Amino acid sequence: MMDMLVPVLAATLGAGTPLIFAALGELVTEKSGVLNLGVEGMMLVGAIVAFITMRGMGNVWLGVAAAGVAGALMALLFAFATLTLQANQVASGLALAIFGAGVSAFIGKGYVGVTLESSANAGISLPIDIPLLSPLLDSLHPLVYASWLLFAGVNWFLSRSRAGLVLRAVGESPASAHAVGYRVIRIRYFATLFGGAMAGIGGAYLSLVYAPLWLEGMVAGRGWIALALVVFATWRPARVMLGAYLFGGITIVQYFAQSAGIAFATQFMSMLPYLATIVVLVVISRDVAMIRRNAPVSLGKPFHPSV
Amino acid sequence: MQLRLEPRALRSRSMRYASPFIAAALTIVMGFILFAALGKNPLAAFYAFFIAPINSINRVAELLLKASPLVLIAIGLAVGFRSNIWNIGAEGQLTVGAIAAGWVALNPAFADSPLLLAAMIVAGVIGGMAWAAVPAFLRTRFNANEILVSLMLTYVAQLLVNWLVFGPWRDPQGFNTPQSPLFADGALFPILIDNTRLNASVLLTLVVVGVGWVFMNKSFLGYKTRVVGLSSAAARYAGFSEKRTVWVGMLAGGAAAGLAGVGEVAGPLGQVLPVISPGYGFTAIIVAFVGRLDPVGIVFAGLLMSLLYLGADSAQISMGLPAAAASLFQGALLFFLLGVDVLVNYRVRVIRAMATHHRTVPT
Amino acid sequence: MRIVNRRDFLKRTSSLGIAALGARALGAFAQDVLNVGVVHQYPIGEVGWETQHAIGWKAMEAAFPGKVKVTVVSDVQQAQDSERVFRELASQGNKLIFGTTFSHMAPMLKVARTAPNTHFDCCASVTTLKNMGAFEARNYEASYVAGVIAGRMTKSNVLGWVGAFPIPQTVWRMNGFMLGARSVNPKAVCNVIWINTWNDPAKEKDAVGALISQGADVLAGSPNTPVQGVAAEERGAWSVANCSDYSKFVTKKQLTGDIFDWRSAYVDSARDALAGKWKAQDRFRGLGEGGFCAMVPYNAAIPADVVADAKQREKDIVSGKLKVFAGPLKDRDGKQHVAAGASLSDKEIRSINWLVEGINGPFPKS
Repeated sequence: MMDMLVPVLAATLGAGTPLIFAALGELVTEKSGVLNLGVEGMMLVGAIVAFITMRGMGNVWLGVAAAGVAGALMALLFAFATLTLQANQVASGLALAIFGAGVSAFIGKGYVGVTLESSANAGISLPIDIPLLSPLLDSLHPLVYASWLLFAGVNWFLSRSRAGLVLRAVGESPASAHAVGYRVIRIRYFATLFGGAMAGIGGAYLSLVYAPLWLEGMVAGRGWIALALVVFATWRPARVMLGAYLFGGITIVQYFAQSAGIAFATQFMSMLPYLATIVVLVVISRDVAMIRRNAPVSLGKPFHPSV
Repeated sequence: MQLRLEPRALRSRSMRYASPFIAAALTIVMGFILFAALGKNPLAAFYAFFIAPINSINRVAELLLKASPLVLIAIGLAVGFRSNIWNIGAEGQLTVGAIAAGWVALNPAFADSPLLLAAMIVAGVIGGMAWAAVPAFLRTRFNANEILVSLMLTYVAQLLVNWLVFGPWRDPQGFNTPQSPLFADGALFPILIDNTRLNASVLLTLVVVGVGWVFMNKSFLGYKTRVVGLSSAAARYAGFSEKRTVWVGMLAGGAAAGLAGVGEVAGPLGQVLPVISPGYGFTAIIVAFVGRLDPVGIVFAGLLMSLLYLGADSAQISMGLPAAAASLFQGALLFFLLGVDVLVNYRVRVIRAMATHHRTVPT
Repeated sequence: MRIVNRRDFLKRTSSLGIAALGARALGAFAQDVLNVGVVHQYPIGEVGWETQHAIGWKAMEAAFPGKVKVTVVSDVQQAQDSERVFRELASQGNKLIFGTTFSHMAPMLKVARTAPNTHFDCCASVTTLKNMGAFEARNYEASYVAGVIAGRMTKSNVLGWVGAFPIPQTVWRMNGFMLGARSVNPKAVCNVIWINTWNDPAKEKDAVGALISQGADVLAGSPNTPVQGVAAEERGAWSVANCSDYSKFVTKKQLTGDIFDWRSAYVDSARDALAGKWKAQDRFRGLGEGGFCAMVPYNAAIPADVVADAKQREKDIVSGKLKVFAGPLKDRDGKQHVAAGASLSDKEIRSINWLVEGINGPFPKS
């Protein structure tokens, strides 16, 4: 039993990692007041760009960086449409999701089914041998550690840094922030691009580490789940981590349940992650007051800087 | 000299009608550039994409057949979108509508009834509405975001139909492959034009277009829901119920999507398969927007989208163009439209540098 | 500017179309260039189901240089669309049209009935018409031989199988695999996990992880991509490829595999069509010359006597001496399906929906 624990934990952490990148990125975007529904599209584009870069250059980190840039570029399209051209954020986000799916399928044509050599899980070896922790830490990919660093960074940024305070102010009351002299639109641009870059990296994790290959649509709904996670977490980074790993856990557990001879039809087991997402959304959202306290007040609303 | 966006005092009517065309033109230009970059002759590609798919009766019939579910679902979605109700789960509602219709078709109790097809239609509509009722309920009761709930339910519906065709509905004559038995002739929509696949479900779509137009433009309920979408404060003042708007918006989309599901299984498919729709529920979202959330616009937008699909196949056959070109164009069209739409609300003003005044002293 | 109304336009262009069609049809008889259409459900990649079909039609092109012109349409994912594409291909003068997957059967049947002068051939179809043939691989033969190797190479006696959907093709492969393993290792068992998707490599990897955590040290299944083999190799387990040879990606721990070899399906069909002698056939072939499946070269790490045994069994299967589904055969619930001395008929094989003893895991009951 014990020797099952490490692989299960490692798999759970791995399953949660793409969600963490995408959800933390989207959290920052939403904290500035922008609702970007196009996460799935940005993740897909990040996945294929990372894959192509890796195939061409052989370096995982270059692939990750390229994915970040690609995700940010997709987010730029969205930001331009919604922040400069004042288009409807929901519709633009949907357009981005659909467009991203199309772009990724298009440029991924020649790479379908191509598989990379598994990128070595160069984990961290601790100097002393702690029973559970050492083998676990040893088997994790560096991007998993990067996601923990991201969490620490986002947490610090939002709660302790001045720039984070300004960003939150922009999300809560853009009119006041504007009056005080902050460039609301510019800050929102940065937040949106950051969210796009993180979504791209989340996609890169899927195609470079998790799989590692490219298939059309391989993000398989994780971008939407990341969006739900942000709500589930009531816009707090720590809860995003919790939700992502819970979700990863559900995904993994169903396979163990299958082998343990649980008699449910497997399709119903496969439904679990999606049903679980609905349940957590309901549980969190029903407390309207809590949502109102935690959601950025100006989320989704366009801001017109009156000159 | 610089360009500045200035809010208009009144939304420009002419831009409202012109913007889809401008967006379409921009998409075509992008397409030309893309084809040239791929090394294909842009004019030949343009012909393959836009002209070739409609140059025979059969092909026009295919165009209408493909446009029909898109227009149908888009009308239902538009009712919701106009009120800010974002039903993204139309694909799942279509699937459940197809399941409901399939249940009627495969049920021996209905087998020889002359009302078989009518019963299937009713079942499909109810099925779609039931699936849309879940996000509506969760939104009105628990404030859960309907975008995410309806989308999650799409995945659930997909797995549900999969379970059905692998399990209880598997065709006993079908060598245990995942499909339901073929429907009897009485369970299929009659074909309208011989030697084509165009069936009577297209007529239902036309009816829904008419009903949608009346609802949106002439009915009080349609007016109320629109106000809720434009300004919830004003709506509250006027006593228009937001909850009712949520229900109306979601159920309209669900009913239309369910009906489209019937159209698929009682039409080109003729049985229940593990995957019913080629993404109509999602493409209909684009159709709704490109059609400006208006029934007439939606009809044109649906035909355009359908043309893009058929064009992609035809370009593949005749020119070897990649298949993903279609979804690329659709997404781009939507983006361009959203961008060009800004010109409805804003005017582009060219600010010239200040000219220095020369004072001429009259002599 | 002349205004062309729609009816005129349609009449004009359709008459042009008919004229062109007529010219093309005449042309097809006058010269002997055979226009062939092939439809793929998904994009053609480097490995996988579509690739194996691509190898098939490319061999056909190469076998009759200058006489065969192939039009390929890929990424036609749904039945509604493939019906339209088949009809398009037929109306454009393609005289031999191939479908590459089971979901092409229903749409092709509809089109074949309206195009009696065109030849159709559908992979994995269970029905044939006068102008529509079918071809399918007895890859249970190959997976049996792979199972023999797996049964000898496993140290934990636990095998693992990651399946997408429990369709008969997968079920007969699994049964072949288990029977082969048990013929050399009666203690072997196989745990199966269904992931219910063709397109989510992350789920495949998770399932492999779960199976390995529960003791499996030989993984099989991999319907379309090398992901399972790569994931198994990472954890130090062996893998058996299916569909294509994945050893380029699974460099050390791929034991062997059963790949599809559709070349003779395409070449023979084209040859008959070129000679004017095409007839609809239902071809169900396995290992051997002109067959539809083959073994992937055996891993160098396999002991020589195991390899020799496997090769002997291959020979015996081809010669007919060894029948994979020979009785007595019971399913895992104890029900007997084949009596001693008999063996499963083709029809029973193609509609198989029960698992042999030793396979553990969920399975839908209809």
